[in-house]
Amino acid sequence: MVKLIGFVPLFPLLGFLINGFFGKKMSKGAVGFIACASILASFVVSLLIFLEVHNSSAQKATVVELFSWINSDTLKIPFSFLVDPLSCLFLLNITGIGFLIHVYSVGYMHDDAGFSRFFTYLNLFVFFMLLLVLGNNYALMYVGWEGVGLCSYLLIGFWFKNDAYNRAANKAFIMNRIGDLGFLLGIILIFMNFGSISFGEVFNKASSVSTGTITAISLFLFIGAMGKSAQLPLYTWLPDAMAGPTPVSALIHAATMVTAGIYMVVRSNIFYSISATASEFVAVVGAVTALFAALIGLLQTDIKKILAYSTVSQLGLMFLALGVGAYSSAVFHVTTHAFFKALLFLGAGSVIHAMGGEQDIRKMGGLKKALPVTFTTMLLGTLAISGVPPFSGFFSKDEILAHTYEHSKLLWLIGSLASLCTAFYMFRLMFITFWGSFRGTHEQEHHLHESPKSMTVPLMVLAALSVVGGLLGLPEFFGASNFMSENLDTVILRKNPSILSHETEWMLMGIAVAVALSTIYFAYQMFVTHKVLPAEKESEMKSFQRVVYHKFYVDELYESMIRKPIDLISEAFYKFFDVQIIDGIVNGIGTVSMWKAGIIRKLQTGHIGFYIMAMTVGALTILFFSLMN
Amino acid sequence: MKALFIISGLGILAMLAEIFKFKRALYPLVLIGILAALVANFTEFNNNESIQAFNNMIRFDNVALAFSSVILITAFLWFILANDYFTNETSLTDHFSLVLFALTGALMLTAFSNMTTLFLGIEILSIPLYVLAASKKNDVKSNEAGFKYLIMGSFASAFLLFGIALIYGATGTFDLLAIRAKISEGMPLFFYAGIIMMLIAMCFKVSAAPFHFWAPDVYHGSPTVIMALMSTVVKTAAFVAFMRLFLVGFGSATSVWAMAMAGIIALSLIISNMTAAAQSSVKRMLAYSSISHAAFMLMGILAVNPIYSMRAILYYALAYSVATIGGFTVLYRVEKQSGNTYDDFNGLAKRNPFAALGMLICMLSLAGIPVTAGFFAKYFIFTALIGSTYKWLLVLAVIMSCVGVYYYIKVIIAMYFKKPTHQEPLLIEKSHTLLLAIAVVLVLVLGLLPNFVLSV
Repeated sequence: MVKLIGFVPLFPLLGFLINGFFGKKMSKGAVGFIACASILASFVVSLLIFLEVHNSSAQKATVVELFSWINSDTLKIPFSFLVDPLSCLFLLNITGIGFLIHVYSVGYMHDDAGFSRFFTYLNLFVFFMLLLVLGNNYALMYVGWEGVGLCSYLLIGFWFKNDAYNRAANKAFIMNRIGDLGFLLGIILIFMNFGSISFGEVFNKASSVSTGTITAISLFLFIGAMGKSAQLPLYTWLPDAMAGPTPVSALIHAATMVTAGIYMVVRSNIFYSISATASEFVAVVGAVTALFAALIGLLQTDIKKILAYSTVSQLGLMFLALGVGAYSSAVFHVTTHAFFKALLFLGAGSVIHAMGGEQDIRKMGGLKKALPVTFTTMLLGTLAISGVPPFSGFFSKDEILAHTYEHSKLLWLIGSLASLCTAFYMFRLMFITFWGSFRGTHEQEHHLHESPKSMTVPLMVLAALSVVGGLLGLPEFFGASNFMSENLDTVILRKNPSILSHETEWMLMGIAVAVALSTIYFAYQMFVTHKVLPAEKESEMKSFQRVVYHKFYVDELYESMIRKPIDLISEAFYKFFDVQIIDGIVNGIGTVSMWKAGIIRKLQTGHIGFYIMAMTVGALTILFFSLMN
Repeated sequence: MKALFIISGLGILAMLAEIFKFKRALYPLVLIGILAALVANFTEFNNNESIQAFNNMIRFDNVALAFSSVILITAFLWFILANDYFTNETSLTDHFSLVLFALTGALMLTAFSNMTTLFLGIEILSIPLYVLAASKKNDVKSNEAGFKYLIMGSFASAFLLFGIALIYGATGTFDLLAIRAKISEGMPLFFYAGIIMMLIAMCFKVSAAPFHFWAPDVYHGSPTVIMALMSTVVKTAAFVAFMRLFLVGFGSATSVWAMAMAGIIALSLIISNMTAAAQSSVKRMLAYSSISHAAFMLMGILAVNPIYSMRAILYYALAYSVATIGGFTVLYRVEKQSGNTYDDFNGLAKRNPFAALGMLICMLSLAGIPVTAGFFAKYFIFTALIGSTYKWLLVLAVIMSCVGVYYYIKVIIAMYFKKPTHQEPLLIEKSHTLLLAIAVVLVLVLGLLPNFVLSV
C-alpha cells in the first residue's frame, strides 16, 4: 500500500490538469465533481496508508523513490517521498479537511464567474501541499513550499478586479519571499555541512556537526517558518490575506498552508533539540506572537479578520510548544486547530453568504434563529478554541501549556494570557453576531437564510471532529494512552520526558478551565446582558484601544521604516546606476554590435565566386597555421 | 541497424507508389515506418551482439542508436509539419523518396566506422537535398538555392575526398579504429593535412564559419519545410558524423585539429550571432541561429571527457531540433498567411494565442532560458568544456548567447507587445496544432527532467 503513495499527490494534480485545461468548457457540476473526487480519492489512499503505517510494528518510516530528479556531481536529489507517522497525519489533515472544504466551496462559489478557475487553483494547492509534506528532502519540501505560496497568492488575489485584493496578494507573496530566503539559506547551509539534503542522512549526522552551525541552520529554517506561518515580525500578510474567498481562508490560511512552518520544524526537530538557543528563540517568538495577535483580535470588527488574528495567535502557541520541545503537542494542536479553525472560517463564510457579503460584525446580530446549523456548529468550534473541556482545543492547548510551565513560568503566563484573550474575542464574536437584535439593513434581514446542504454538511462534520478531536491526545493520567505522542514516537529523535507531577497538571488544568469559563461569563455580561457594541467611530475609543484597533501601527511602521527608505534607495539607484551606467553599457554594446553586424552582413553577397574564394582562403589559412606547429 | 533497412525500404516503396497508384496511402505508411524504425532502435539498444555489418564498415553501437533515434524522432515531427507540402506544393511521390533517402544517409552517418561509409553517407544525404532545395520549380530563388548548394557542396566533397585520400596514403586503411591505432606510431605531415582537409569539409557540412556562406542563401531560397529539414535532421546527422570522426578516429591527434576548431567555433559564434541580430526576416534569423547552434555543439567536441561530451551533444541535438521544429511550424503558417519578417509576427498573441505561446516557449528554449530544454543544453555543453583549456571560448560563447537572447526575444516582443499589422486571426490546422503541442511538451519535459536523456 505504501508503494501507492505516488497516487496521493497524483489525483489532485490530475484534477488540476483536467479542470485547468477543460474547466471552462465543462459544466459547473462536472468541475466540482472532478475537484472533490480527486481529493476524496487521495484521502482514501492516505487513510489506507495511514492505517498500514500505524499498524506496522517495526519499520515505521518508508522512503519511496519515484525517480532520480537532480543528479549533478555531488548534489544528488531523488524525487522520493517519506511515509512515516508524521507525514501520514498531515496527509489525513490536508486531504480530509481539504475534501470537506472542496465540498463546501461547491456551494459557496456556485454563482462565481471564476468557478472552474477557483477549483483549478484549489486542486493545485492541495497537490503542492502534499508534495511539501511528503518530500523526503529539503529540496522537494521547498518545491511544495514555493508552490503553496504561489497558490496562496493566486487565491488571495482571486477576485483580481479589486485592486486592494491584488495588493493583499502581493503583500502575502513578498512577505513570504523574505521567509523563503531564510529557508533557502538554511537548505544551502545544510548541504554545505552535511553534503546532502535528504532527511535521513542529514538527521543521522546532526550530532557530529558543531552546535553553532546547527543553531545557524535552525534559525534560518525558522525564518522560513516565520514567513509561512505568519509569526512576528512577518505576520502582517495573513490578516490581509482574508481578501481571498472564505473557503481559501479556511483551507490555506487556517488549516493547512500556514501550518507548514510547524511541520518543517517538527520534521527538523533534531536540530532544535540540539540547539538550545534556537529553541529558546522559537519559544519566545511563538509566545509573543500568540499574545500580540490575540490582543489585536480583541478589537477587530471584521469577522474574518478576527479569525485571522486568532490563527496567528494559535500558530504562535504551536511555536511555543515547539520551542519548549513539546513537538507532538504542537502537531496535536495543529490537528485540532485545523478542525475548529476550518469550522469557524466556514461558519463565518456561511454567515457572510447569508448577509450578502457583509463582514462587519457590528452590522449583524441575532442570527441565531436564521442560521441554526451555522450557529450551533460555530458555537461548538468556539467552545473548542476557547479551551472548554471536553472539546478538542482544551486538550491540545492544555498539553502545550503544561509543557511550557515545565520549561518557563513566564512563557506559561504569556501563553495563558493569550488563551484568555482568545476565549474573550471568540465569544465577543459569537455574542455580537448571533445574540441580540439584527442591526443590518432591511434588505439583508429579508435575505437571511441558512446555507445549502453542501455547505452545512461539512460544517457538521467539522463540528463533530472539533468536539471529539481531543481523543487523539488524552493526557496520560486519564488512564488512556496518548495516541498522538505514541504515534509520533519514531519521528521525534530526542525526547525530554515530562517531569511534571500529576498534581501540578491537575492544578494547571483547573486554572485554565477557570480562566476560560470566567472570561466567557465576563464576555456574556458585557455583550449580551449590557449589549456593549464595538465603537463605530475612532473618536469614541480610548487611546490604548485606538492603538490596538490600529493593530499597534505595525503596518504603518513597516511602511515608513522599510518600504519608504527602499523606495528612495531604489529610485536613486535607478536614476544613477541603471539609467547612466547599465543602460549606457548595454546600449553601447548594442550600437557596436549593430555596426559590426552591418559590416559582416555585407559579406553575404550572394555571389558564389566570392563564397568559394572565402572558403579557399579560410582553408589555406587553417592548413597553414595547423601544420606550422 | 534495422532502422536503416526500414527507412531505405520505405524510400524504394515511395518510388513505386506513383506506378502502383497508392499515393494516398503513402503518407501514413511513412509515418508508421518511421515509428517502426524507432521501435527497432529501442529493441537493439544495449544489445551488444550483431552491431557490426558490412565487414565492420558500420557499427550500430549505443551512441549510434541514440543519435539515430533523435534523428528519427525529428524526422517524424518533420513529416507532420510537412504534410501539406506533399499535397499542395508537389504531387510527386519522388519527393517522399528523396527525403527518405536523405534520412537513410543521415542514419548511415550516425553509425559509420569506416571512411568509405562516411563518404557514402554524406553523399546519400546531400544529393537528395540539392534536388529538394530546388523543388519549387517555378521559383527563381529556389532554383538558385539548389544550384548554389550543389556547386558548393561538390567543392566541399572534393575536400573530403582529398582528405580521405591523404589519410589512406599515410595509413593504408579506411577503418577509423585502425587509423586511431596508427596515429601513435608517428605520421608524416600530409596525414595531418588530410585531417585538416576533412575538418574543413565537415565544417562546411555543419555550416561553420568561414565555410557557412552557402547556408543563409540556400536556407532562404529553399521552401520553408525543406529548410526545417536541413537545419534539424541534416544538421544533427552531419554533427554525429563530425563527432564520430574526430572523437573516435582522430581522438589521439587533438593537438593538430583542436586549435583550428576552436578558431572556427569562435568565428562562427561571432558571425552568426551578429548577423542574426541584424536580420529583419525571421526565416533568415533562424538560418543564422542554426549556424550559431552548430558552433555551440562543436564546442562539445573540444571537451576533455568524450563520453560526457557525447551525452551533452546528444541532449543539445534533441533540444535544438525539437525547439526548431516547433518554431518552424509557427513560421510556416505565418509565412503562408503574410510573410516571414518580424512584422508578420506582430500581435500574434491576439491572432492565435496558442501559436504565440508555442513560439514563445520554442524561442525561449533556443535562447537558453531555464526551465526549457535549451537552457540545460547550453549548460551541459559549458560544463563539459569548463575543464578544458578553452575557457576563453566559453566566455565568448556566454557573451554570444546574450546576443542570441536579443534576436529571439525580438520575436516574442513582436508577438506580445506590438499591434498586429494583419488583423485577421492566424488559422492553424489540427495536425500542426498537435505538432506544436508535442514540441512544446518535449521542450518543457526535457527541461524539467534533463537526466532522462543523459542517463542513456
